[in-house]
Amino acid sequence: MKKFIAMLLMVSMMLTMISTAAFADDSAEIYMFINSPEYADAVEELIAAYKEVAPNVTINYETTQNDYPTLLKTKINAGECPDIFATTSGKEIVSYLDYSYDFSAEAAAAAMTDPVKSVMMYGEEVHGFPIKGNYFGIIYNKAIFEEVGLEFPTTFSELEKACEAISAAGYTPFSTGFAEWWVYKHVMQHFVNAAGDSEAIVNSIVAGESTISDHPMIYDNFFNFIDLVVKYGDAKPLECDLAGEEAAIGTGKAAMILGQGAWVEDDILAIDDAFQLGFNGYPVSEDPADCMIIAGSDQALRINKDSAVLQDVLDFVNWWYTSDYGKAWFTNVAGVIPPVVDAAAPDKEVVKQGQVLEAEKGAGAVSIVYSTDSFHEACGVILQSYIGGNVTKDEACAQIEAKWMDLDGTK
Amino acid sequence: MINKVERSRKQHTAYVMKRKAKRVIFYFFLTLVALLYIYPVFLMVINSFKPFKEILTNVLALPVNFTFDNFTYVIKKMDYFNLFWNNVTITTIGILGILVISSMAAYILDRRKTKYTKLIHSIIIIPMLIPFQTIMITLLKEMSILGLSGSKVGLGIQYWGFGASMATFIYYNFMKSIPGEIDESAMMDGATTFTTYSRIIFPILKPVTATVAVLDVMWIWNDFLLPLLMVNGSMKSKTLVLAAYNFVGFLNTKWHYALAAMVVAVLPSIIFFIFLQKYIVDGVVTASVKG
Amino acid sequence: MRRNNKSAISQNALKETLLFTLPALICVIIVIYIPFVMAGYYSLTEWNGISKTPIFIGLENFKTIFSSGSPEFLNAIAFTGKYTMLFVVFTNIFALGIAVALSKKFRLANFLRGMFFVPYIMSMIIVGFIWKFIFTQGFEKLYEFTGWNIWALSWLGDDKLAFWSVLFVGVWQSLGFYIVLYIAGLKSVSTEVLEAASIDGATGSQCFFRVTLPLLGPSITTCIFMAVTNSLKVFDIIQALTKGGPGGSTYSATLDIYREAFQNNRYGLGSAKALVYFVLVLILTQLVLKIFERRDVDL
Repeated sequence: MKKFIAMLLMVSMMLTMISTAAFADDSAEIYMFINSPEYADAVEELIAAYKEVAPNVTINYETTQNDYPTLLKTKINAGECPDIFATTSGKEIVSYLDYSYDFSAEAAAAAMTDPVKSVMMYGEEVHGFPIKGNYFGIIYNKAIFEEVGLEFPTTFSELEKACEAISAAGYTPFSTGFAEWWVYKHVMQHFVNAAGDSEAIVNSIVAGESTISDHPMIYDNFFNFIDLVVKYGDAKPLECDLAGEEAAIGTGKAAMILGQGAWVEDDILAIDDAFQLGFNGYPVSEDPADCMIIAGSDQALRINKDSAVLQDVLDFVNWWYTSDYGKAWFTNVAGVIPPVVDAAAPDKEVVKQGQVLEAEKGAGAVSIVYSTDSFHEACGVILQSYIGGNVTKDEACAQIEAKWMDLDGTK
Repeated sequence: MINKVERSRKQHTAYVMKRKAKRVIFYFFLTLVALLYIYPVFLMVINSFKPFKEILTNVLALPVNFTFDNFTYVIKKMDYFNLFWNNVTITTIGILGILVISSMAAYILDRRKTKYTKLIHSIIIIPMLIPFQTIMITLLKEMSILGLSGSKVGLGIQYWGFGASMATFIYYNFMKSIPGEIDESAMMDGATTFTTYSRIIFPILKPVTATVAVLDVMWIWNDFLLPLLMVNGSMKSKTLVLAAYNFVGFLNTKWHYALAAMVVAVLPSIIFFIFLQKYIVDGVVTASVKG
Repeated sequence: MRRNNKSAISQNALKETLLFTLPALICVIIVIYIPFVMAGYYSLTEWNGISKTPIFIGLENFKTIFSSGSPEFLNAIAFTGKYTMLFVVFTNIFALGIAVALSKKFRLANFLRGMFFVPYIMSMIIVGFIWKFIFTQGFEKLYEFTGWNIWALSWLGDDKLAFWSVLFVGVWQSLGFYIVLYIAGLKSVSTEVLEAASIDGATGSQCFFRVTLPLLGPSITTCIFMAVTNSLKVFDIIQALTKGGPGGSTYSATLDIYREAFQNNRYGLGSAKALVYFVLVLILTQLVLKIFERRDVDL
């Protein structure tokens, strides 16, 4: 019986044990909990470099991709809000306002490029900064287009012809990635952009003031595009995921992949280091001017406004965004498109071609950020059933409108 | 007469042949099922020896450029040997607690039928019906108040609660096959309930304990969501599986590292299983009756 | 005197019962019941899981669930029901069959037992990755090889077939767990009884059906109950394989609750759904146990 009581005591002792409070002196600990573990090595290097600049500041860096948003909410509610955390830009800037610091007065905000900054704003306030800028568009195999003697199509009818020629030559014109819900949002935003002021359009549908059929660029062009890529795409479109797309284009089977951008370049080159990568916008209409790439960032790192070490966090972010090391970090260490002005671009095909295209034709806004990911996931589900032939186009549109209003509307 | 013997001998050889044939067919099918079963595991292992390129281009093929690089890289990157001890600590604390509290509860619940046992039994078993995802947010909130979040010991203790339901349930159902006379005779000799439990019943339950230990060690060692919630923040408390997941990104997953990391993360628990399974196979009642 | 004694004994028995079960009780109450009740409170609020102030709205969330009919939730429950029925049948038949084979003594037995257990501990993300490639590249190869149409079907991309793929991989993945339980159960069937039966001239299959199977009763109930509870909570395998797709055809109840609470940012409504589902499952498992009419397991 003694053992027994001892055990009970132990249980209760453990359970009432209270974590030791952090001791205070001039050193500071910053808790940084963000997603994108693919940049873990680079971020660790950044932190190591900052240690030399500010030896008293320790940055505890934690990262995960799986369940990140869920985990973040859980931590915030447990009263463990990280000093630096990640959300998506645009709409989610607002959802997390309760916790996020407006750093518009800081040097880091001034250093941000305009397309990036525009989706980090709440009114005049700046509430987020990304790890990287991004380009979205179609990635294609230049060698296949050369073989069939065609340029990359910038209008829809050219695209149809190109598909015919490519499949006649024995290649699959498209690998779609339609098993992934986020591929749809990456594709759809090009059509929403071409329809006019994308933010206004999204807001009007969400408010129930217009329907998808009021916007032929979405109602006709987008759905025609989907039909075309399904026709000329993978044999089992709804089974193809990101890895499937990379395999299909990297091995020279597919000519184009959908819904991707700068981030797949390394993977494709790892499959075939001689791959001739081409990058361009979506041929959304009969006007070549509409065929634009998209530049910006859909990710936002946030600063906890109630952070106990706020000044240290700000110092770190300012250093990251404005120091010579910080600026060069984007290019040389992380190998991403710098989200800051006057930093060199990394030596990547998507970036080089993207910059040329952006200078020539301009670039569209990352209009996915005007809706939440809750909506995008639901929308992806509906488009999957459209592709699977379970709902008609009109049914799909009605369902998408309903989800848009239900999930993104303010109650 | 001779004919008869002849016939029965023939019958016997036919019988033996039939048995042999049956055996051959049995092993044939078992091997076939096992091969089909093992194939995806086999794929995981062979792919962990391939460079990234070969994984994406052909998952099914054997490695062309067989390489250990993935393993040397991930073992260093994961800080394997340190995290290994984190896993050992968490799993040991978790499993010991589960085994003790569950076997005790199951023993008394089966042997003392009072009007409360049914209720207590239900309270312990019902959590098996509650999906973990539904309590995540509030669990972390409570655990950080109690100071059980963010540490190996705290996580190990939490497993007592998460593991008690299933373990009690399994112990309880096996308790029935242990004849009541065994502990009655012990009690007659003047043993207290606790000594009967600890000296007589617990040793008899050894194979069940081995079963529960195997199932729970596998689960705790390889668990993902709860450790992610509780101990992902620091290398001092992180587990192997959490470290392996760092190779999995949203838009970029380093599959060659992820696969190799998962293989080395899981491996110790498989070795543990193979080591412990002989106790499961020992049998429960036979031991008790003979004892 | 006697009576006194008796009540003293029962007093004592009660004390002992409490003392022996208290550690387990405290542990489950702290890690499961308290958070569950706390989450239950949010079912009475409108809360996105982020803002600092949940708004108390009474039973509004429950009204939403029952009045709007929430077709997605109903579909998810129907999916889970179908999945559970088939999962329970398949896992138990296969696990028992394989356990019988593996509990025999032969050279590879140890190795094979280990092998059957490996999928159970493989990380879900790897299970998903490998199977997705088997379903795509593997089936493509098999089609080239055999020409059978079955390999050309889109097993993960078709909303009707996806159910079977999820079920298949689900059974494949968790079989090892039930095999271990069955092996342990088989070993507790006394060999003397079996020897006696075979001396009486019972053949192998007679032995199995007349002697082993009835004696396995407790194991079977354990495994069926475990299979029921696990499949009613099915989540990981779907997340890894189809994420509820294609077209939302493989959403399980837990996945739907998760989607409501965390993706749609309606933690309040999600908690309400979780409560409703919990009550449903509680009733259902009671019924299952009644149907089996075994008193071995009570809840």
